[in-house]
Amino acid sequence: MPLVVIGLSHHSSPVTVRERFAFAEARVPDALEVLRTSHIVEEAVILSTCNRVEIYAVTSLAPPAAFDSLRHFLVTCHDYRDPITDEIYSFSEPQSLHHLFKVACGLDSMVLGETEILGQLKKAYELALQHGHTGGRLNKAFQRAFNVAKQIRTETNIQRGSVSIGSVAVELAEKIFSRLADRDVMVIGAGDTSEKTARALLSRGARSILVTNRSYDKAVALAKDLGGRAIQFDEWTQEFQNIDIVISSTSAPHYILDRAKLEPVMKMRRNRPLLLVDIAVPRDIEPEINFMENVFLYNIDDLQSIAEDYLKQRQQEVARCEQIIREKAAGLLAPVPRPQGGQARPAFGGR
Amino acid sequence: MVYSLFLWRKGFRRDDYVNYSILLAAFGLHTTAMVLRGFSLNHCPVTNLYEATTFAMWSIVAVYLVVGLWPRLRFLGAFASPVLFGIGVFALMPNLDAGRGARLGAPLAWTSVHAALMALSYGAFGLSSIAALMYLTQEHNLKLHKIKALFALLPPIQRLEFVVGRLLVSGFILLTIGLVIGAYDLTRLDHPHAYRGDPKIVWSGLVWLIYLGLIVMRWKFAQGGRRFALGAIGSFAFVLLTFWGTNVLSPLHNP
Repeated sequence: MPLVVIGLSHHSSPVTVRERFAFAEARVPDALEVLRTSHIVEEAVILSTCNRVEIYAVTSLAPPAAFDSLRHFLVTCHDYRDPITDEIYSFSEPQSLHHLFKVACGLDSMVLGETEILGQLKKAYELALQHGHTGGRLNKAFQRAFNVAKQIRTETNIQRGSVSIGSVAVELAEKIFSRLADRDVMVIGAGDTSEKTARALLSRGARSILVTNRSYDKAVALAKDLGGRAIQFDEWTQEFQNIDIVISSTSAPHYILDRAKLEPVMKMRRNRPLLLVDIAVPRDIEPEINFMENVFLYNIDDLQSIAEDYLKQRQQEVARCEQIIREKAAGLLAPVPRPQGGQARPAFGGR
Repeated sequence: MVYSLFLWRKGFRRDDYVNYSILLAAFGLHTTAMVLRGFSLNHCPVTNLYEATTFAMWSIVAVYLVVGLWPRLRFLGAFASPVLFGIGVFALMPNLDAGRGARLGAPLAWTSVHAALMALSYGAFGLSSIAALMYLTQEHNLKLHKIKALFALLPPIQRLEFVVGRLLVSGFILLTIGLVIGAYDLTRLDHPHAYRGDPKIVWSGLVWLIYLGLIVMRWKFAQGGRRFALGAIGSFAFVLLTFWGTNVLSPLHNP
């Protein structure tokens, strides 16, 4: 009985279509029950995330018939009446196994090598397992997928480094400061990227956040969201001596922080290290400041360049990862000879 | 040393404990060898250049083994090992293990304590300069926005600066106590004033002043960071380059 996959992802369809097929977690067990009782599949797992909706199934039907039935199931389950062309893809063995392994390793994700998908896949599998909708073949396939993901994480650089500006800023902070937990962050200008960067720092344990913006109301709103404190825009220099990390993204046409302003502040800070992340265009912080002792200034291009270098590294690892995936899938599909000359059966056995 | 090369390749976060264990085992063997030599000579084995060099190596490892009890500082072993290997090769140069000079009649126990403390202080200074070198490497990469700063898996520069500072202070305390004991030891000689201008004594005083200056610079005037790291490296380079020469010239230490 082959393992098949059918679904949609960010590669094949826009979010306006994907969201129509998404399964709420509470609905998944019922959907699996319907699939199994209709005898379309013997075993099934439904994976539904913001970037993909997929059904992994073991079916006794021939793959073309199985795909038709599963497609019909998806459409009727979500009452989708618009025409579908190639938004929905389908794979049978061995491509279905390759696809499962690639998804588990983050090779099919929007951000190459991201690790969140593995947790989501594990959760989807455990939900199906708990409700008795998996069997020997799917159990083996998913366990092997998790092992492959672990092997690829250990042996390759596909998951190494940060590919978003916020995460790069956090990595830099961790290379400067012993502990983020003792660090205070200031956000100057309540923009989207600075908010994401601040959240990334908070998630890694930064102690507190100060927010300042020309519009005090926006500063207050962002500070509340981040669990921090807002200050008036003309007061930010006074608070500076207690700050370790600054994220700046104002729309000021000139530098808001230059060497002349920073030098006395560094003396008051007793030259403790200071990380300045300037994501504004035009820049908020005078580039000369980077030459000051114990001051580390990164602008948007610097962060982007690091993120791109990491992404290039990951991309270089794709071929190696795909090789590992092919080998592991082949191992699962290879027949295991029975002892004493009996007929060989696939290692990927049934119940 | 070989395992350190392995850590240089794999990254310093992993398997530090193996390097630590290897250095611990080596320390045990080295200590045994020194004890046996000391018993055979009937005094602490720090009386010629070979013995002083190996004692300095021993003290660097001793300081590292204490510092390495904190897992976050254990990475220093990967950097210390190649330096220790280099010093060890130097110690094996011909004629360093030459005959010992006549003893000057000072009480042996105090002389041994003085020599041991001085060697331990140099060990701490040596390890501090190694950490300072790591600091400068990482700081350079961060300043120039090189992705190596993130790839290289060196510890955060703040932690490196902390290690440099603490080792420097520890070394300074050991040096101070060692000099005080040495001064007391000197008073027990028959003609202590004859050695007033002894090159090694003058040199030791200079080293003490240099390190005092570094400490004042760091803590009183908040001149940390790159300057402090450069100071630590420069000071130890001065010690390394002049130690053996002043030792040879000193009638007190090389009669």
